[in-house]
Amino acid sequence: MPRYELALILKAMQRPETAAVLKRTVEALMERGAIVRNLENLGERALPYKISKHNHRHRRGGYFLVDLEGPPSIVSTMMDHLGRDIDVIRRAFIKYPVSKTEECSGIVPVNYEDKLIPKKK
Amino acid sequence: MAALAVRCGRLYCGWVPALMRERPCRLQHQGAAVQSDMPIEMENPYKEPPKKCILCGINVDYKNVQLLSQFVSPYSGRIYGRHITGLCDKKQREISKAIKRAHILGFMPVMFKNPSFLTDPKICNVKY
Repeated sequence: MPRYELALILKAMQRPETAAVLKRTVEALMERGAIVRNLENLGERALPYKISKHNHRHRRGGYFLVDLEGPPSIVSTMMDHLGRDIDVIRRAFIKYPVSKTEECSGIVPVNYEDKLIPKKK
Repeated sequence: MAALAVRCGRLYCGWVPALMRERPCRLQHQGAAVQSDMPIEMENPYKEPPKKCILCGINVDYKNVQLLSQFVSPYSGRIYGRHITGLCDKKQREISKAIKRAHILGFMPVMFKNPSFLTDPKICNVKY
């Protein structure tokens, strides 16, 4: 199953309420057949710009990252489900970023002479 | 060399040009001298290692807002072009995509640069 990363921005709430939101989100994910690997808290910080969602203008939010593995059908259903949740400001599913940085070969010098003369196809 | 020298049928009296003087010859290698004179095929030993851009080997992530903010104008929040950042093709595209993603997902401000990152070291070739 492909690996996804769910970037979640929740409304700035008290700790027990945030915990409740995260709990029901993870339960919803597991219901649809996903395996939650990791849940990271990136802290509660001021949003980069004011976001209006569910008749509310938010200035602060809690950033969370859910590392999960699930079937591709989960994306659309979960986006729908989270869209209806009033405590979720922003949600996004991203393909898990696999870090592969060892093969960087450096800047290859471009041969401009070859580019000048069009190659006959 | 003020001496009489006979070389190549010419008689030299006094100064003898260097070419005409008796040069020491390598008697022991006279047989193999003809083959070992040609240059040996080898890769340029003075070849410089390929030039790397500043992000070569660094993983670019949309969550790393501080890194992304270094390639953005502090006044308008616009992404700098390749001629300013000096990045290679691949990395410039990666940074661009990551910045746009961070904008949409609510990680990075759009119209300006996050004030806490204004004192970061300047990587780009901008003078202001």
